[in-house]
Amino acid sequence: MFETLKQQWNRKHLTDERFTFLFEDTHEEEVVIFDCETTGLNPKVDDIISIGAVKVKGNKILTDQAIHIYIKQENEINHKSITIHQIRNCDLEDAIPLNEAIEKFLYYIGNRALVGYYLEFDVAMINKYIKPMFGITLPNKKEEVSAIYYDKKIATIPQGHIDLRFDTILEDLALPKLQAHDALNDAVMTAMMYLKLKQMKSFKITRR
Amino acid sequence: MIALLDNLKTHLPFTLLDNRSSKLIEETAQIAYYPENTILIKSDEFTHTLFLIIKGAVEAKDNEELIDIYQTDDAFGGIELIEDQPSRYEYLVTEELICYEIPEETFLTLCNDNKAFKAYFFSTIVERIDMLKEKRKHANVADMMVARVDTSILHHASLVEAHMPVVEALSQMEKSKAVSIIVKNTDGYGIVTDADFRKYILRKKEDDLSEISQIQTYPMISIQEGELLFNVLLLMTEHSIKHLPVFDKNENLLGVLEMIDLLSFFSNQSHLITVQMDRAEDLSSVISAAKRVEIMISALHAKGVKSRYIAKLVAEIKKKMYTRLFEMIFPSTWQERCTFVLLGSEGREEQILRTDQDNALIFEDGFMPKDVDEVTQKFIAALDEIGFPRCEGNVMIINPKWCKSLSEYKKDIHQWIEQPSYDGFIDMAIFFDSMAVAGNVSFHKILQAYLISQIGQQKHILPHFAKSIDSFESPLGLFSRFSSGGKGHENEIDIKKGALFALVHGVRALALEYGMTQTNTTLRIKTLNDVGYMNKEDAQDMLEALEVINTLRLHAQLEKLEKGKEMDNYICVTTLSKLERDVLKEALKTVEQFKKRVSYHFHLSMVS
Repeated sequence: MFETLKQQWNRKHLTDERFTFLFEDTHEEEVVIFDCETTGLNPKVDDIISIGAVKVKGNKILTDQAIHIYIKQENEINHKSITIHQIRNCDLEDAIPLNEAIEKFLYYIGNRALVGYYLEFDVAMINKYIKPMFGITLPNKKEEVSAIYYDKKIATIPQGHIDLRFDTILEDLALPKLQAHDALNDAVMTAMMYLKLKQMKSFKITRR
Repeated sequence: MIALLDNLKTHLPFTLLDNRSSKLIEETAQIAYYPENTILIKSDEFTHTLFLIIKGAVEAKDNEELIDIYQTDDAFGGIELIEDQPSRYEYLVTEELICYEIPEETFLTLCNDNKAFKAYFFSTIVERIDMLKEKRKHANVADMMVARVDTSILHHASLVEAHMPVVEALSQMEKSKAVSIIVKNTDGYGIVTDADFRKYILRKKEDDLSEISQIQTYPMISIQEGELLFNVLLLMTEHSIKHLPVFDKNENLLGVLEMIDLLSFFSNQSHLITVQMDRAEDLSSVISAAKRVEIMISALHAKGVKSRYIAKLVAEIKKKMYTRLFEMIFPSTWQERCTFVLLGSEGREEQILRTDQDNALIFEDGFMPKDVDEVTQKFIAALDEIGFPRCEGNVMIINPKWCKSLSEYKKDIHQWIEQPSYDGFIDMAIFFDSMAVAGNVSFHKILQAYLISQIGQQKHILPHFAKSIDSFESPLGLFSRFSSGGKGHENEIDIKKGALFALVHGVRALALEYGMTQTNTTLRIKTLNDVGYMNKEDAQDMLEALEVINTLRLHAQLEKLEKGKEMDNYICVTTLSKLERDVLKEALKTVEQFKKRVSYHFHLSMVS
C-alpha cells in the first residue's frame, strides 16, 4: 500500500516519457541481476565506472544478452580504486558518456525486478544520476540476494550469526568462484546464487 | 568478458577455436542451473544444445547401465548434434549442475568452420592420450632442471702435488683409475686432462716440461656439490670444458664430473647404472647403483616416456642387478644347480618402483645344501638395503615354500590343479608370471612347461581361476561421487583393485589357456591378437588402457615418494587434469568391456 503510493508519487515526477515502461506491471518471467563498479563506497561523492547486468529467466542465466557498460570518467580514476577494480584509465577506451550509459541500462532493465548483492548501494548509485536526469528513482521491484540467503539460513541455525560476505555465501552454496572481479562477473556470480537459492527447497549443507 | 568463458578456452576442444568462434559462443551461450535428479536428455530424444559443465556431475545411462560420467569442463551432446540423431542414453544430473548451454546452431557452425574441433568429439582414447603426452612433456621438463650434483655420478680424480713429475702423476692416475689429475698448488688447484697430456707429448723438449704443474690448466673452474645440474650444464657449455672438479663445502675434492655423464643424465641414467653394476666389485657398489634406479625412473617419467618402456628398462637393470647379487652371494658350486626366479609383477617385468618383491629358488633334485638359510637370508638382506619392501605374502627365497627342489614344485603344481583352492590359485597366478634371471634356467623351463601341459589337460579349472576378475567393482561409478576410497582415501580410487588387477588377471587366465610362455601383460595381449582371440583394435585399446593406468599410478607413486609418503595404488581423482580424467575414464571403460568379454569367454556367470 505504502509502496504503491510511493511509486505513484515517483511516477508523477517522471520528466521523460520515454521511460514510462519502468512503471509498467513487473515482468513476470525475467529479472535483472546487476552490479556496479564505482570509484568509492559513498554514493554522494563517488562515481560509477562500469555496470554489469544479466537477465535470469527460469533456471537460466541469459549470458547471451548480458551487458557490460564502461562509463567515461570526468575525473581520472584515482589510484586507490584502481587497486580494487583493476580498471585502469586505459581500459575505459570503449567507455560511453554517462547519459548514454544510464539510458542503455534503463532500456535493458525495463519493468523487470532488480536483483543484487548489497543492491541498496547499486540502486543508490543509479538513482543519484536518474533523479536529476529524469526526476525519478528506480521504481522496479527489488530483491536482495543476501536477504534470501539469510532467510534460508536462519531456518537452520536460529539465533546463529550468519556471515553474509559475498565470498562466504558463494562458498557455502558451493558455487564456482570466478577469478576476474568486474561488474559483469560479479553479476553472473550473483545470478548463480540467486538461481540456486530460488530453486533450493530448504537449506542443507552442500559443502563436502 | 565472462571469466567462465575464458576458463572454457583453456580446455580441449575449445582450445582449438579462434577468437571469432569464441565470440560466437559468448554471444549465444547461456548458463543453466539444474538440481540433482533432473533428466537433461531422455533416451530417444533430440538435444538442441551442447552441454558444458561448469560444476556438478551428469551420468549417461543405458537403462540402468552406467555408460559415462561427465564433470567439470566436460562436454556432452556433441555427437548427437553432429549426427543429428536422438540420444541413445539418458543424461541424468547426479550432482547439482551449473552448465553452459551452447545452442545447436552455434555448435554446428563451429563444427563446420573448424574440422579439428569437430573431430575431437569423435576422437578415440589413443588420440586423446597423444594429446595428453604432448602436454605432460612440456609440463614436466622443469623436474629435470631441479636435479642436483651428488657424489654418485662423479668420477675419481687423482690428487697430486705441483712438483710431481708428469710421468709419475700419469701412472698414479692410471693406478687409481681416475679420469683426470687435480694439481694441488700453493694457491688453489689446477687440472690436467688428456688434452694437456697431448700438449706434453708434443712440446716436451721444446718447452722443457717435466713437472705436472707445468702442463696444468690453472686456475681451474670448479663447483660445490649440491649445485643444480642444469647450471653445471650451462657452466660447462659456456667454458666448453669436459671435466669439472666438484668440491664439498670444506673445499675437499670429491671427484670430477664429466660432460658425457651429464649429457646422459639429461637423456637418461640407465647407461650409468648398468655400467656401475657391471664394474661393481663388491656388494655395496651393486646396492648403491640399484638405489639410483628411482632417480632414473622419475627423470624418464618427467620426460613423458611411456611407462611400459620405463618398465622394460627397469627390468633390464634389475636382471643385471639380480645376476650380480646372485654371483656375489651364492656359492659358485650352487650356481649351475639352482635357478633364481622372479615372480609376480617382477616376473612380468612390470614393476617400476620398488613396491614389492617376489622371488623363488628352484634346486636340482637331490641337491639341497645345508647353509641355504644363511645364503638366502644374506640375499634378502641385500634387497632390504636397496629398499625392496619384503613380500607381504612371504613369496621370498627365505620361505621354504619358495625355496625347494624341482620335483617338490611339480607336486605343488599338481595340487593347484587337482585340488583347486583359493590359495592354490593365488600361488599358481604368481608362479605362472615367473621368469628365470640367474643360475641354471633350464629348471624353470621344465616347470613352466609342466604347468602349461597340466592346465592343457584340465581346462575346466580355468573359469574358477579367472573368476576373481569380478572381485572388485569398477570405480567408474565412483567418479561422480568423489568419496570412493574409504577412510583416508576420499576423492581417491584404488587403481590396482579397480582396474589393473582385472586387466592383468584376465589376460593371465587367457594366457594360461593358450599356453603362453611370455609373462609380460603387453606381450600376452599382443599374442592374444596374434592367435586370433582378439582383433587389433581391441588389443590396441587394451594396451593403451594398461598404459594409462600404469602412467597415472606411477605418477601418483612418484609424487608420494617425493613427499615421503607411503607408496600405494591410490590415484587422486580431483587433482587430475580434465584430459587425464578423460583418458582414465576411457581406460576404465575398456577394462570393464574386457571383464565382460572374459566373463563370457569362461562362462563366469555359471561358476560359483
